[in-house]
Amino acid sequence: MSPRRIPSRPGELIDRSTTVSFTWNGRAFTGHQGDTIASALAAAGVEIFSRSMKYHRRRGIFSANHWDPNLSVQVGDEPNVRAGSRRLLEGMQVSAQNVWPSLRFDLGTANQLVGRFLSAGFYYKTFMRPQFLWHSLYQRILRKFAPGGRIHWNTSTHGAYDKRYAHPDVLIAGGGPAGMAAALSAAEAGATVMLVEQEPELGGHLRWGANDDLEVLADLRSAVEASPGIEVLVDSTVSGRYDHNWIAINQRSHPLAPERLIKARAGSLVVAPGLIERPYVFAGNDTPGVMLAGAVRRLTNLWAVRPGDRAVVLTASSEGDSAVADLESAGVEIVEVLDARSGADIVKVDGRGRVRKVHLGDGRTLAADLVVTATGWTAPTSLLNMAGDRPVYDPVAARYFPHALPDNVLATGGITGDGSIAELLAHGRETGELAAARALRIRHDVLTTTARSTSPKGPRPETVPDDRIPLRRVPHPECYRSSTHGLVDFSEDISSKDLMQAASEGFDSIELMKRYTTVTMGPSQGKLETVNAASVLAEARQVDMADVGTTVWRPPFSPISLGALAGRIFEPVRRSALQDWHEANGAVNLLAGQWVRPDRYGDPMAEALNVRNNVGLIDVTPLGKLDLRGPDVPKLLELVYVNRWQKLKVGRVRYGAMVGEDGVVSDDGVTGRLAKDHYLMTTTSSGAGAVWEMLEDWLQTYRSDWEVHVTPVTGGLTSINVAGPRSRDLLERLVGGVDLSADAFPYFSVRTGTVAGVADCIIWRIGFTGELSYELHVPSGHALHVWESLLATGSDLGAAPFGVEAQRILRLEKGHYIVGQDTDGLSKAPTAGLAGLVKLDKEDTVGLPELRAAFDRTDLPVLVGLQPDDPTVVPEEACQIVAGDSNEILGRVTSSRMSPTLGRSICLAQVDPKLAAAGTSVTVKLVDGSRITATVQEHHAHLDPEGERQRV
Amino acid sequence: MILVPCPNCGPRNSSDLRNTGEVVPRPDAATASLSEWRSYLYLRDNPAGWVTETWYCRSGCRTYFTIERNTATNEVRGLERT
Amino acid sequence: MSRHGYRYSAGKLLKHGVTRGDWPRMWSKPERRDSYDVVIVGGGLHGLATAYYLAKNHGITNVAVVDKGYLGGGGSGRNTAIVRSNYLTPEGVAFYDRSLQLYNTMASDLNLNVMLSRRGHLTLAHTDSALRTMTWRAEVNKLLDIDSSVIDPEEVKRLTPSLDVSSDTRYPILGALYHPPGGIVRHDAVVWGYARAADHLGVHLLQDTEVLDISCSGGDGPDGKGPGGRVTGVRTSRGDISAPVVVNCTAGWASLISNMAGVPLAITTHPLQAAVTEPCKVFLPTVVVSGSLHVYVSQTDRGELVFGASVDPIGTYRVNGTLEFTEELAGHVLELMPGISKMRLMRQWSGLCDMTPDYSPIMGFTAVDGYLVDVGWGTYGFKAGPVAGETMAETIATGRTADLIASFGIERFTEGDLVGEKGAAAVGH
Repeated sequence: MSPRRIPSRPGELIDRSTTVSFTWNGRAFTGHQGDTIASALAAAGVEIFSRSMKYHRRRGIFSANHWDPNLSVQVGDEPNVRAGSRRLLEGMQVSAQNVWPSLRFDLGTANQLVGRFLSAGFYYKTFMRPQFLWHSLYQRILRKFAPGGRIHWNTSTHGAYDKRYAHPDVLIAGGGPAGMAAALSAAEAGATVMLVEQEPELGGHLRWGANDDLEVLADLRSAVEASPGIEVLVDSTVSGRYDHNWIAINQRSHPLAPERLIKARAGSLVVAPGLIERPYVFAGNDTPGVMLAGAVRRLTNLWAVRPGDRAVVLTASSEGDSAVADLESAGVEIVEVLDARSGADIVKVDGRGRVRKVHLGDGRTLAADLVVTATGWTAPTSLLNMAGDRPVYDPVAARYFPHALPDNVLATGGITGDGSIAELLAHGRETGELAAARALRIRHDVLTTTARSTSPKGPRPETVPDDRIPLRRVPHPECYRSSTHGLVDFSEDISSKDLMQAASEGFDSIELMKRYTTVTMGPSQGKLETVNAASVLAEARQVDMADVGTTVWRPPFSPISLGALAGRIFEPVRRSALQDWHEANGAVNLLAGQWVRPDRYGDPMAEALNVRNNVGLIDVTPLGKLDLRGPDVPKLLELVYVNRWQKLKVGRVRYGAMVGEDGVVSDDGVTGRLAKDHYLMTTTSSGAGAVWEMLEDWLQTYRSDWEVHVTPVTGGLTSINVAGPRSRDLLERLVGGVDLSADAFPYFSVRTGTVAGVADCIIWRIGFTGELSYELHVPSGHALHVWESLLATGSDLGAAPFGVEAQRILRLEKGHYIVGQDTDGLSKAPTAGLAGLVKLDKEDTVGLPELRAAFDRTDLPVLVGLQPDDPTVVPEEACQIVAGDSNEILGRVTSSRMSPTLGRSICLAQVDPKLAAAGTSVTVKLVDGSRITATVQEHHAHLDPEGERQRV
Repeated sequence: MILVPCPNCGPRNSSDLRNTGEVVPRPDAATASLSEWRSYLYLRDNPAGWVTETWYCRSGCRTYFTIERNTATNEVRGLERT
Repeated sequence: MSRHGYRYSAGKLLKHGVTRGDWPRMWSKPERRDSYDVVIVGGGLHGLATAYYLAKNHGITNVAVVDKGYLGGGGSGRNTAIVRSNYLTPEGVAFYDRSLQLYNTMASDLNLNVMLSRRGHLTLAHTDSALRTMTWRAEVNKLLDIDSSVIDPEEVKRLTPSLDVSSDTRYPILGALYHPPGGIVRHDAVVWGYARAADHLGVHLLQDTEVLDISCSGGDGPDGKGPGGRVTGVRTSRGDISAPVVVNCTAGWASLISNMAGVPLAITTHPLQAAVTEPCKVFLPTVVVSGSLHVYVSQTDRGELVFGASVDPIGTYRVNGTLEFTEELAGHVLELMPGISKMRLMRQWSGLCDMTPDYSPIMGFTAVDGYLVDVGWGTYGFKAGPVAGETMAETIATGRTADLIASFGIERFTEGDLVGEKGAAAVGH
């Protein structure tokens, strides 16, 4: 079952006492705990893991880690799983992606036959004629070739994820030797440390090292474990660094959630990701059996897998030498070691499913099934880029190095230079000390500027100079490409020839080349490809690498699931204290902004008629409510409303409209004076927050000498409108301490009294529905009692609840406009019919100059009452009013309903001023395309324009 | 997520606050000409550099205050309660 | 042949495949002249399209397009490439419909396949007020002959099966504005197509040439800038260029460039972020937009989901992106399509948007003679690129503001005549 598993290795991660069963393309396999998907399959002799994106070439293990471009597989309903790093779990159903009908026999390989015609950007140059074929056929075929796994969009893990906040003094990205050393020294200096490692265990390259490396690793691990100041996160990736050191960490293998996003505000960030091995470009370099030195070292030492039988090794560094030693110890025959430093080269590899022959630069051909390259490194500077650094290329060491970092970001380890393990550890330690010193100073500063926190202990820490001894830069040949062309981007099937062609076509900046060829745009986002792409461009342009630059690395460092980013579902709705009652009593809900409300309980027409004939109750709690206190409230009202407020008497209520500084109608409502220095303001439901913030802005910014205190009470008071000719009869049975008679409590008044035994209820007499009606604002804790008492006490009067839909019918019959529905983002006060309300002779009011300008204009649309001539037709809201048979737009229907009271359709509409006169006939185009006529009414109100019903 | 120094609450995530934009002095509404008023309404310096702007501590103490922020770097300095 | 030099075709692809011969450059590297008839600042879609139509429609070829970086490196290469014409106002509809017409014929006009995919565009409505706005848009659209209608949740599900249309969600899908001609285009190809065609007609494309100042004389302000003055040329990082006409076609830096001519703008600059997932087999056939949830999404031919949102709430010139953008985006996308929770975000990026108070551009002449603007494009500059180029070219060539852009003039902010797109355009993709 495991023909390629070799005897036990000192650093192996697998637990040979365990068996983990899984399937690969439907066939049963086993591995051990500690295996990756790829190592278990490789141990079982599997050599082909995927097909390439464009040409569907067979692909095998290449880097045997997270970045391996050939090891994306489907696991159950999860696409694009990195088999090179994902640990094996019992029962995994693993399958190959991007193959049809199967991995072994894939029809997509037909693309290889025409590959010479599919050069970079080929699709831009063809498929143009005939045009209809592009839309109907070519495009569909292209979309069929999209790579990647499959989405199972009927299953979801949305909401199963979690998030966490953290505030470490020092956050270290990378748990290799330098990162671990940095963590230890930072913790010793008194910093709280978070040490984050992408792999499931600490150690970095020490893990696959020789025995002395393993000993160092064991010591480091136990020191880290013993340090109380260090929190270790393994199988976790620092995926982004954002402004002010806001750091994102994607924590996998969390016990309670599939993944967890940790958001950390770090004092200092230490970037210690090590180095990523760079592929070598030559003909056939993607043939299964061509591997990076690191891949064979990991396979043999971590998972005890023999990666091949007969190996040719091309090396330009000690990494290749180490690989040779590992291969020999694993029983692999070393056919030849080619030293690139002395000019040896590989020009081509033959073989389809596996390497067969290796053609060398000196003309010889060797038989082998494994080609190992160790030709250089890429510094994964992503996090440094995100911190604003533009790393600089050093031709001597043949890689990029950090350049200029902000104070709160430091780098250590291989990304900054080369050295022995001891040198790496020393650099890491010094970096940790520096990071801690800077972080502790930042922590001190934050505590100092935080008004309510306790004062920091001790004096401000001194600035510590950066006197670290930099790591050396060991000379390394610039080993990018052989004399042949090969793949630069394995994920995208982009060869060096494609890049050369793009450069010759004018795409000769690295960004343009990337966009034209798609190089580095695949899942690893250039971790393996960027530097090789730059080298090919430098070659094409015959300039130095340093003059080419690189594309910018953006977050995330490695892909992160949408579920993890979303976290738990926090999409709350607001519910009034009566919402449970509504739902228990058959309410059909409506989501209105933040609120869920009853749209209706039964037939809304009947509910509306009950209000006209008897008495109805509606829960209007979402109405914004602001409690205003202080001697200067009248000044504030005068400022924010377009009308006058100075003379409002105690016990009286007034309607007010608001406009913005641009003169556009923004909100409206009634405000009542409860006592000398005490007012209650109501706003629209959606405007409650904005009005509050606006009042605060005035009171804090421009009128800070005014004495007004604003308290939002929207949820604290449950609002119940009791409407209908019998509403007074009902309330008289329940209200105490208030004379409800018409003379004592006239229209547009407010009183405070007891309702159903509940004290301090605010009662105002107003009428959105056009009927005699009272609005009760009841302390929410008692709201259900009041509501149920009203219904029970009024049963003989016909008291029944009504919903939002009935209210809409009623208010439209009465012709009350709704801000945002009957007005829009350009509607000024004259449009809404506020001419009688607006007072232009004030010293100041919000938007005053625009108000004045608006009333000088004659071209603004006008809101009018409108009735279709055919009373049975209800034009849909938003239908357009047009000029006769033409398509010229002259207005639109903003509200429409069938009126149960009038037995006909009724509307509000915004029309061109030339159509605004009462009696004007207009044409309305319905959604179905037919046109009807309608007549402009004298009033907005279709029912009782004089208001006799509400003044009884 | 930048940190915004609220004078009461200390440094807070910007998502706890609302940015209301650069400070523009409001003309006297009674006497301002329409063109002065519309400059106040619409024209902004919009510099790529230091700007004085207003924040509202929406999820905290509900104070409006001004700070200086560099729009090229998001560096923040100074604070003043308005 | 005439407009493009070397014509692309399936035959040419075959020939190059067989002979392995080199393809010619898409555009040349011209020697900068000391003076041009027109200098266009900004080598993105708008600048290049303006140059192309100046040359093609009006025979004005002594034109330079200057850019501080590479062609299409700003908003043109960072947007989410959605095109549509289902706007709210008649002036918006007419303008964007002309743009869509130009996109429809672009591949043959420019002889470059810009990969236009007319896959249908859905704007979801989660509230009855949103549904009313959708009806408003649809009714205006129909009167102007735009294919646009409001469809019910069942039809939404039929068109886009991965959407959750059940009624018990926090943001139920009550319907959608459906716009069949809307879709996506390969944005970079549009830039290259205009660049290639303009270059062949004689326009000079000057990359890596940063404009440091606009030279003026006779104006009210310092150095002869400002109202009443006239433009004499530009100072660049590679030397001075004299020109009687300078056009500001920048995005993200429009205020800064305009200040060089002494013309302040009603603009604040905000980042607009976008993100892309790893590829998956194609499952999303339409463009889906949700205004309430501030998100839009489409799936590329490569299988990646491309997401966008509304502009960042904090104005800044910084384009390094934020984590909270990806968090909110993911949360909202999963409310719409819970089944893609295991897809992974691969890259996020950011571009700069110049936001105007009424979500409409500022186009045409200014108080400085010879200085024209094509700015303030907010989040919809890509859709408008072709028609903006065509109308700006007409305006420059005829000296008269083109009819289609009459309502977008800079004077509307002093006259108080704002355009009414704001309601529909808050997340107007």
